[in-house]
Amino acid sequence: MSQSAQPPISDRGLVAPVQEGTSARADEPRNYVGIVRAVVLVVLAAVALTTPGFLSQPSILSLLTTVSFIGCVAVGMTLITISGNIMSFALGALVGATAMVFILAANWGGFAFGLIAALAFAGLTNALQGFLIGWLRANPIIVSIAALALIYGVAEAFAAHGTIYAAAGANYGGFKGRVAGIPVEFAVFLCVTALAQFILSLTPFGRHLFLIGSSFRAAEAVGVRTWRAITGAYLWAGLFTAPAGIMLAIRYDAASMNYGIGYEYEAIAAVLVGGTVIKGGEGSVLRTLAGAIIIGVIQVVLVLQGLRTEWQYLIAGLIVLGVIALQTPGTRD
Amino acid sequence: MDILTVEGLSKSFGGVRALRDVSLSLRAGEIRAICGENGAGKSTLVKSLMGIFTPDAGSITIDGVRQTMRGPQHAQALGLGLVAQELSLAPRLSVLDNIWLGSSEVPVFHRRRALRQRARNALETLGAGDWDLDIPASALSIGQQQLVEIARLLARNARLLILDEPTATLTDTEIARILDVLKTLKARGHAVLYISHRLGEVFDLCDTVTVLRNGEHVATRPVHDMTRERLIELMLGRPFGEMYPASAAGPDIGDALVADKLNVAGMVRDLSLVAPRGTILCIAGQIGSGANVVTRALAGLVPGATGRVSVDGKPLRLGSVPHCVERGVLFLSEDRAAEGIFHQRSVLENLLAGSFGAHTRFRMLDWLRLKRVGARLAQRVAVDQRRLAAAAGKLSGGNQQKLLFGRAIERPQPGVLLMNEPTRGIDVGARADIYRIMRELCSLGYALIMTTSDLEEVVGIADIVVTMYRGRTVARYERQSIAMARILADITHPVQAAA
Repeated sequence: MSQSAQPPISDRGLVAPVQEGTSARADEPRNYVGIVRAVVLVVLAAVALTTPGFLSQPSILSLLTTVSFIGCVAVGMTLITISGNIMSFALGALVGATAMVFILAANWGGFAFGLIAALAFAGLTNALQGFLIGWLRANPIIVSIAALALIYGVAEAFAAHGTIYAAAGANYGGFKGRVAGIPVEFAVFLCVTALAQFILSLTPFGRHLFLIGSSFRAAEAVGVRTWRAITGAYLWAGLFTAPAGIMLAIRYDAASMNYGIGYEYEAIAAVLVGGTVIKGGEGSVLRTLAGAIIIGVIQVVLVLQGLRTEWQYLIAGLIVLGVIALQTPGTRD
Repeated sequence: MDILTVEGLSKSFGGVRALRDVSLSLRAGEIRAICGENGAGKSTLVKSLMGIFTPDAGSITIDGVRQTMRGPQHAQALGLGLVAQELSLAPRLSVLDNIWLGSSEVPVFHRRRALRQRARNALETLGAGDWDLDIPASALSIGQQQLVEIARLLARNARLLILDEPTATLTDTEIARILDVLKTLKARGHAVLYISHRLGEVFDLCDTVTVLRNGEHVATRPVHDMTRERLIELMLGRPFGEMYPASAAGPDIGDALVADKLNVAGMVRDLSLVAPRGTILCIAGQIGSGANVVTRALAGLVPGATGRVSVDGKPLRLGSVPHCVERGVLFLSEDRAAEGIFHQRSVLENLLAGSFGAHTRFRMLDWLRLKRVGARLAQRVAVDQRRLAAAAGKLSGGNQQKLLFGRAIERPQPGVLLMNEPTRGIDVGARADIYRIMRELCSLGYALIMTTSDLEEVVGIADIVVTMYRGRTVARYERQSIAMARILADITHPVQAAA
């Protein structure tokens, strides 16, 4: 940052801009992260392509549906992360609970009613958490853990036997096929991604989330209504997560809290792998899309290699730790 | 013989030359002031002496022996001691433990009695021989803690004491005590490097003064050969008068903000002020006077604030920033890093933060328009337009501060701009820019209300000065009647001023 002490002053009273170069030192961690990223991508691609059966149609379709479920949750999570609230532990439970609300409501009032009820439930449940966090400045992690426990507790009351099934007459067949060659789930996920990116990039609300995530106090000082924006972020996160639960319920004609287990971890892994910064203020949903595809590929490869579910958790944990370790040196002040 | 001789000291950080060929020497029993603007290289010099930075070039000679400083402990062993800007006592440890904390002289098993006696002797030198060594440091006042910091150096046989802004957070009586202590130490043959922004202390205490500017040595003179104005000119590198643009006596266009009986529990009592458009009103007061709370309260940032405030005749509701912003009352924080700049976000977004809602079409952000407005704002506040996409955190402090001013410029109508310490931590060049921007805002019809702890700045820029002492207004001065001596008297000895 070479900088002259006394910039030339023009006669119009305006001052010539001070030149500043970026210092080479600050860029070093970023380059290093870039190299690690490239290496990881190449290795992952090589492993995937040499795994027998990876390029077969069933495997690709399974990849796309896996990505869709993780992806919807991850898109919701992205809004929470960008707004500076780190992550929500309750989104996995929300997936399971939304699936149950959908089945219960659809059994009672039909498919459309099921959809509306499920979306309303997910949106309100999350908005309430957002309100606690935005208005009372409650710790987002603690609120999400409390919400997780509450959702499980209430769900237990509704489904004493664990799983509830769609009514005998229900027919969700039209929502199980493919649209233009891709699974319905993936089409829904792409719509969710597009809507979320639209909100982040093209609305004042989206910009406010970035500002709040970057500096809460500075956002307050310029007059952003922080509690509204944070409540909004959680509301949308709920609405984006809900399709994952609804689609799982449609897929299995049933719902259980077990459906949601682990999604919050896979989602946060997708968010971080995509490159959204854990401390907030920086990121995008398109990055999360890329992150979700990477996490999906890893899962499919693990299944094809014959490794069991425990491994999937292990890998998700390692990925989160690895990305955090990579992010930290570049972002620490 | 000289205790300390520094020759040709240079230090760069990634292309920025923080110190360039600085030489100075110091005798025993001499108190030397180091003066310079922020960024002049004072801290780099101190840290090089203490072995915290390794200089790129130059030599440090102590008692005639050339030394390569290996670190703070090595510097201590050579008889150097530093009292840093921030207090570095462990609040829960006793005074005695604090005095010996981190000393290389204390082995794991030690004779406590000898250490206790040396600590006692050190405090006695400072006129604090009667203090209880076993109470926790947190039980002492800030001023007393500062004395413990000095005792810590004496107990370790420091002969050259380096004090970096030791009085910045102290009350007047505490400052007087520290200055007395330093005079005693001088008489006992200690040498002192005294870094302070408070010129009064420099003239009161120091024998000689060294001025640094942009990392270079500008002058070293005996204090009695120096005047206040001359010292400021040496620090700024330009005549005193040129720093501040003249106030253009605009037409009287009415009062923007009127506050009546503003109260904040424990901080501000029954304060009233009137801020006319087109003028800069400066609230002058020391730390703890409540001046910076007044601006925060008017900005809606203090929840418990009460009082009748009106903007353009319409009442302003306190306690809600969004409401105040809607009414055109904007705030610029003294804490730029935490409450001003969005470090990761672009220069463009930083300029337009808070007004995204005003640049939409069909409720969608109009990015073409945002970019156009952003480029114009950058030009008006003298920030390079080619850097609109750069992260604001990569800009210098001065340029960051200009971005904050940029937020205020293109409002639907000129409002009220509240500023706390608007030039804190900013180099001389950017400072002049900021004063110019402030005058430009005045000519647009804004009312500017600012607080600053820099009296020179008060006298240089203000059209109206309101002095404050312990939460109350002391007096109000306008243009010709603004004088540094009276302001200083008001904010330190209000009783005499009122009489």
